[in-house]
Amino acid sequence: MRWILSFLLLGLLAVVQAASSSGNKLLVVLEELAEKSKYSKYLGDLEARGFEITFESPKSDKVALFELGARAYDHLLILPAKSKGLGPQLTPKLLLDFINAGGNILLTLSSSTPTQSALISLLLELDIHLPTDRTALVVDHFNYDTISAAEQHDVVLLPRPDAVRSDLKNFFKGAGKGGEAIAFPRGVGQTLGNNSPLLTPLLRAPRTAYSYNPKDDVEGVEDPFAVGQQLSLITTMQARNSARFTVIGSSEMLEDAWFGAKVQRSQGLSGAAASKEIKTSNQEFAKEVTGWTFNEIGVLKVGKIEHHLNEGEAADQVINPKIYRVKNDITYKIELSEYQWDRWVAFNPEAGDDLQLEFSMLSPFHRLPLKLIYTTTNSTIWTTSFKAPDQHGIFNFKVNYKRPFLSNIEEKNTVTVRHFAHDEWPRSWVISGAWPWISGIAVTVVGWTAFVALWLWSKPVPLKLTTSGKKVV
Amino acid sequence: MKFLRSLLPSALLLGAAVAKSASWGFDEAVLTVTAKGAAGLENKLSDHAPLSKAVSLGAQDALKVIITATEDGTPKRPHQAFLLLRDQDSGLETTFPFTMKENGKGKVDFTQKDIPVQLLTSKSPLRATLLLASFGTSIQFSNHVFNLDIKLDPNTALPKYDAPLRYGKLPEINHIFRADPKSGPIIISLFFVGAVLATVPILLGAWAYLGANLDHLGKATSSAPISHILFFGSIVAMEGIFFLYYYTWNLFQTLPVAGVVGLVAFLSGTKALGEVQGRRLAGER
Repeated sequence: MRWILSFLLLGLLAVVQAASSSGNKLLVVLEELAEKSKYSKYLGDLEARGFEITFESPKSDKVALFELGARAYDHLLILPAKSKGLGPQLTPKLLLDFINAGGNILLTLSSSTPTQSALISLLLELDIHLPTDRTALVVDHFNYDTISAAEQHDVVLLPRPDAVRSDLKNFFKGAGKGGEAIAFPRGVGQTLGNNSPLLTPLLRAPRTAYSYNPKDDVEGVEDPFAVGQQLSLITTMQARNSARFTVIGSSEMLEDAWFGAKVQRSQGLSGAAASKEIKTSNQEFAKEVTGWTFNEIGVLKVGKIEHHLNEGEAADQVINPKIYRVKNDITYKIELSEYQWDRWVAFNPEAGDDLQLEFSMLSPFHRLPLKLIYTTTNSTIWTTSFKAPDQHGIFNFKVNYKRPFLSNIEEKNTVTVRHFAHDEWPRSWVISGAWPWISGIAVTVVGWTAFVALWLWSKPVPLKLTTSGKKVV
Repeated sequence: MKFLRSLLPSALLLGAAVAKSASWGFDEAVLTVTAKGAAGLENKLSDHAPLSKAVSLGAQDALKVIITATEDGTPKRPHQAFLLLRDQDSGLETTFPFTMKENGKGKVDFTQKDIPVQLLTSKSPLRATLLLASFGTSIQFSNHVFNLDIKLDPNTALPKYDAPLRYGKLPEINHIFRADPKSGPIIISLFFVGAVLATVPILLGAWAYLGANLDHLGKATSSAPISHILFFGSIVAMEGIFFLYYYTWNLFQTLPVAGVVGLVAFLSGTKALGEVQGRRLAGER
């Protein structure tokens, strides 16, 4: 009876944990608990998706990312605080440790509260740069909301972001209809270092936007921090362990006031007249950004990996052998699933992108695209066949699938590739160059047998002598 | 009161709509390209159409734009006065902010050194857009003003640009196998096979010419039939064993059989060769 109960409990637990593929314990750091009400819709959405939210003030002595050396929360949301520091429990090092331990962080900034130097140094560590003046904000005189910011132009209206590259999945396009507006009020723009493949701008500023300091640059901007598409409004970083870190430049865009607020786009770059009033898509967009950060979308999982000989022999039935021979025909199969909000679904890469298999010893000898052969309800199976290289050694089947916005896959299966055994080479009679030598042996055999027969049974012939006594033959 | 309050925003909106008639623009904009030590070429920019001919910028040239920004006809300083250069193929863009004065006069100048290398290598002319914009409700100015054709100096190498690492699909690799070992022309092999095989008739012919014969076969088999048959048979069988070893057998199959045949050869050989010796001692050989 008891075990039935425990199974039931386990089932219940599984239902509750459906929120994210990596746990549902979320710590929200905000200064005043009263501020919670400002984000009630956003936090309500999170709770409805199954997150177990703990609220802590950075000043509180209870706030701790680690407990007994292990991660105490799965995800961390930092809302802007007015205080100068974030306290000893949220130092850049601890936050980095949290990421290294697989925790996800969603960091929100605001131009109205200067960003703490602890967070700035954390961002610098990740090669994300903030304007040097801490009150700088992003304006755009061509894409602002005429209802709330007719004078200041500091509520930037943006369409849904396009995919960063055409071969990447776009998780943030909403229904993909277009005509939507995301309000980005009084935010802080970031610039990204060019050398890290881990950083990806999720939402970039329009061409005409720029960042300025309302205190210093009253008259005009001559040396802006960054302009146009160089300004990243929402930045993502996915660490090598697939932990995710997102910076939202404007915490205000998550507030109730902007969820479904009415906005009107200003006259744009093309000079088109102001459009109709529309509702912001902030709520759906915030769900997607948060969902991505907290591992609710874009998470990949490897199912079964199989490799075997493909030579039409009985040996083909042996799955995942430890050893192959050079020039063997080999088939490799891998099963992949993608997490989508609350369940695993079949994974398919974007058109133009390929899953690739490397067969490598130090460097890849083969790098081949994997082809889809089968789709189950919650996974896809990919395969490729190839001939093992004519080089013996220790090889890896390696699927190294790293793409922005998808969790990293790095699967390595090691096998030995041996050279030909002595009895696996072509026989000598197949080689035309060997024929004279083989016939040489045959001639020797015949000659030897004939000699033995003569030795045994030959009758001596009488000697014929010449007059001078010499032998005549 | 409530009614008034609801009226207020719409009144403001109305005011905004009226104020919208104001717009940003420029009075005069002159573009000059000066080559080193030469008088500049002047071009007047228009606020509604780009220059008909692309402006070319050589390696030693400096480009300068002087502008007088106006709001509704009166010179004024806008908050944003940018010249954008865009590569039409890649969509990459760089920005040159104007240095503006209070009276709306401003200038921007740059040379090839100031343009990022990604744009320098663009195949088509860069598209220059002028932005004049500020806070408030005035209509902002943005227009395509000219095309910039960059003439690179063929003598100096471009600064090297390596695209940074980004995760994506990598080029396909197919292992290139070593060529299979090849034999020489088959006709040569056949010739030498013929030459080798020809030695057998030559050998047998030479022996026959020298008087070799098998005349004692009857004598030998009548005096020691079993040992002669067994001895010669075991010699032939040994060759057969060697052939099987070459063709299919392994050493462990070969050795026991060879041992048995060898023993037979030894035992029968003693007798058979004794008989041969007897014939020799009898003077028959």
